[in-house]
Amino acid sequence: MNNRNSKNKVFQRIKQTLKMHPVIIVLLALLIIFGSIYPDRFFSPINIKSILRQFVTLMLFALGPTFVVLTGSLDLSYVGVWMLGGVLVWMVKPILGIFAIIMIPVVGVTTGFLVGVIQTKAKIPSFILTLSLLMTYTGLAALLAEGYPRAVEGYEFITAPIIRYVPSTFLWTIPIIAAAIFFMKYTRICVYLNAIGSNEEGARLAGINVDKYKILAFMLSGGFTGVGAIILFQHLGGSAQMELKLNTLVWPLVAIVLGGTPLTGGSGGPQRTLLGAITFTIFYRGLYLSALHPTMVTLLVGVLLIVAIIISARGLKGVTVT
Amino acid sequence: MNDKLLEVKEVYKTFDEVVHALKGVSIEARKNEIVGVVGENGAGKSTLMKILVGVYSPDKGELYHKGKLVPFPGNPKEAAKRGISIVYQENGVIPWLKVYQFLFLGHEDKYIQFMTLQKDSMKQQACEILQELHVECDVDAFMHELPLSNQKMIEIARAILGVRLEREDSDTTPIIILDEPTAPLTDDECKELFRDLLKMKKNASFIFISHIIPEVMEYTDRVHVLRDGNLVAQYDLSKEKMTEEDLFRAIVGRKSSEYISRSGDSEALGEDTILSAKNLTKRGHFYDISFDLIRGSCIGFFGPAGSGKSRIIRTIAGLTNYDEGELTAKEQMLKPDELPHVRLSRGIGYFSGETGKELFLNWSLSKNISIINMEKILGKITRVIQFSAERKMAEKIVQKLEIKVPSVGTDCYSLSGGNKQKVSVGKWLERNPDILLLDDPTIGIDVGAREDIYQVLLEMKRNGISMILVSDEPKEYYILCNKIMFVMDGRIQKVLGPEEFRKVMST
Repeated sequence: MNNRNSKNKVFQRIKQTLKMHPVIIVLLALLIIFGSIYPDRFFSPINIKSILRQFVTLMLFALGPTFVVLTGSLDLSYVGVWMLGGVLVWMVKPILGIFAIIMIPVVGVTTGFLVGVIQTKAKIPSFILTLSLLMTYTGLAALLAEGYPRAVEGYEFITAPIIRYVPSTFLWTIPIIAAAIFFMKYTRICVYLNAIGSNEEGARLAGINVDKYKILAFMLSGGFTGVGAIILFQHLGGSAQMELKLNTLVWPLVAIVLGGTPLTGGSGGPQRTLLGAITFTIFYRGLYLSALHPTMVTLLVGVLLIVAIIISARGLKGVTVT
Repeated sequence: MNDKLLEVKEVYKTFDEVVHALKGVSIEARKNEIVGVVGENGAGKSTLMKILVGVYSPDKGELYHKGKLVPFPGNPKEAAKRGISIVYQENGVIPWLKVYQFLFLGHEDKYIQFMTLQKDSMKQQACEILQELHVECDVDAFMHELPLSNQKMIEIARAILGVRLEREDSDTTPIIILDEPTAPLTDDECKELFRDLLKMKKNASFIFISHIIPEVMEYTDRVHVLRDGNLVAQYDLSKEKMTEEDLFRAIVGRKSSEYISRSGDSEALGEDTILSAKNLTKRGHFYDISFDLIRGSCIGFFGPAGSGKSRIIRTIAGLTNYDEGELTAKEQMLKPDELPHVRLSRGIGYFSGETGKELFLNWSLSKNISIINMEKILGKITRVIQFSAERKMAEKIVQKLEIKVPSVGTDCYSLSGGNKQKVSVGKWLERNPDILLLDDPTIGIDVGAREDIYQVLLEMKRNGISMILVSDEPKEYYILCNKIMFVMDGRIQKVLGPEEFRKVMST
């Protein structure tokens, strides 16, 4: 009797979790599909290592913007922070030595603060603002680096192998994700960010300084992107990059939306982005192993984004906000 | 001569088999007049008008057009054939169109020759019609460049034009329904609108929906009063003499038996003034508002919609600023442009009864309660959220207010209206502010839930929370308030005690 009761409870819990994170079902389905199509290749150490490597890139880029998406805005400046930060590291390395890497988070937080202030005071859509900023940063980075990717040495310890088959950057990523999830769940700041995304008028009536917390959201985004980009800097080759790739810009958005944080804000958070990033990476690696043409893969990723956006928007339909 | 242009007889309309929106209403519109239809929110004004323009079809009733029995229109186009058209309260204007483009929007097919739009003839026509209707404006201007009153006039002109282009025969007079046209306008703009409207009476008849009493009194020829789906009164303002208060009483009028008894004056009133206002003014909304709120008491601002009462309370909450005067709480100046979060930190909370305004509907009940009580659930040293404390707090409130939910983790959107309201009020119960501003605290909920909300509010009052009330429900003032200020046209006219207020309202 007792046994059945506790079994029931476990079942209830699983049901609840699946309801909160329906993407888990997609994740399991993908694992089963790819696992049965090519069991050997998919679960080979090399592929798993590739999955982890790609996951790191995706996750660290997607983590910061998640906080902004929560409030119902959008922050696209993350790639710009990584690029401009990298160039600044290259520039100040001779002066600051190993501590030059601190430039990336500094750029991140400053950018966040600037975007937040401009967005709240001038009341411009954050999407277009951060997109323009991204362009500006790309240009600025190229200008400062005189147009060439600049290799910076001295940070190889970040990628130095610790455990076999597991990229070290993945290990470094874990505490960052944990910090973000803890921050999301246990601090009032994130409750307030959620409130703004859910019902801005209500947040105002509940005595929340909406403008201040919107600025904070962008600073958090910049901060997490900045810290993540320290790892990414070495992870993606240890040099200041010049070229803006569409994939690096769009994939993190796919991960956020796929994870279940709607672009309208009000629910979700880093824990969902984590799931989204894993799911997307599996999806991508699975397609990669199939001999599909890369352009076909790009097309499918685009379709996936559209589907994810539609589902995340429909998921809110049960709520009638009058 | 029979000058009855349009007559509606004994119209019934029921929604979902339970909501009786109209219970046999009859109104009429005569030639060249402005007839007012007034009533509170939910009195059935909008439903009636939507029936006239063919958005809804009635359950029962008759429609006479120029004395002939005709079927109710099935859609707005059919209504236009008989000359009936409507100008909605808001969102009717497309700001980036030019005046003549906007006037002919939807009727362009009549101005197409050789597959191109004949702009010149459109402009000429537009000029002619605007001149005929005495609207002065440049047809080449963009809509958004014009003052709001002018925009409204062009909307009305467009409605008349629409009727002219659609009507069956050329002597059908346009009957234009104006749904609270003055809501977005300032006083001066209203005056201009009415000046133009009076000139237009030659060309059309108007059904003027409003709940702003002074303008109805001044500009309409006759007025129909609706209440709870019934036609309760009909006045010919050109013949009968009546005051604004008479009309107001006709609109809200309630039998004295509806007043539940007041729970005596056992509440302990303090001595000290907790909030005081001196000559508080927001131009265009209210002027020279002065009052002293004593700790543990409740002041009500009572008056018709548009009197400025809700503006006053929103100003105190920090949702809008004030121009002149002084507002002090606990001997501290409250600056004109402080935001709600600053006011809350000074102990002033704002509770609105409008569902969905305060609540985060996709959140659980417990989170909705803890959002303004964060301090209480954060760990002492770690400053992180203690979920057990959050749950306990919510369970306490649920038990106390008898909110019917499976668990405190239930999402708020699945709750009934009354229970939602209880959650809203419950979070303030936990917060315990010095002053609670009540903006229509029981709007849209049923009688039983209302009584519960009153009980909670009265208990909070007994515990020394001061309140300011604004409501559409006269009996709320009687139950909650120690002092009722009668507001009309943005000024305090009279100050009444609860018993006096009851006498005034029940005569």
